[in-house]
Amino acid sequence: MATLSRKCVPFTPFDSDLSMATVSIVTAAGVHGRDQERFNIGDDLGDLTYRVMGEDTTSGDVMVTHDHYDHTDADEDVNVVFPIDILRELADEGVIGGIARKHVGYMGYTMRLKEMYDTTAPAIADEVDRGSRADIVLLTGG
Amino acid sequence: MRGIPTVLVTVSPEVSSQMRPPRSLYPNGFKIGNSLGGPGMRELQKKVVIDALQLVTRNTRPGELITKEYPEYGAFHDPVRVKGK
Repeated sequence: MATLSRKCVPFTPFDSDLSMATVSIVTAAGVHGRDQERFNIGDDLGDLTYRVMGEDTTSGDVMVTHDHYDHTDADEDVNVVFPIDILRELADEGVIGGIARKHVGYMGYTMRLKEMYDTTAPAIADEVDRGSRADIVLLTGG
Repeated sequence: MRGIPTVLVTVSPEVSSQMRPPRSLYPNGFKIGNSLGGPGMRELQKKVVIDALQLVTRNTRPGELITKEYPEYGAFHDPVRVKGK
């Protein structure tokens, strides 16, 4: 399991060309596949789980479950927080090398911060590290 | 684990900075829920994504948060402040 530093900025240098790089999205905006289990907004402590979405995911395949920000705009166009269609356009245009095999959505609200920090965040990092073939991760919130 | 370069697009820069993200972009005045622009603003969304990805290729100073102006967004929303600051 990956460990996250509490003391220093975990900066990983990038030494390639953007046009060769595959990009993954990790979003705290509560995005998940329409066919996946919704996040639990009924728990006042939040939901520490996450959902993995595949490389073929489009904006039409996903939805938002999150009750701590107004996601009306994301409901209309999820690219405002999960720019999967944008990445596909950029890949088609040769700006980026491609879309990674995995993208991750979680609900960025929890009162269980230690568990989020010690368990969920490293698990998401491992998820992306294993099999996503991501060279860059784009992080977004709600 | 080799580590993967990350870049954050945040609309709550003070809050995000507390977690010391390696690279981050704040589109000045974007509201919560509009990290990359408003719905249907495809060119703006694309511009913000490209700007964010270029922070990775530029290898900015670790922990640096870049604020950029996007007047085409057409609105300004004050970001959430950290209490006590």
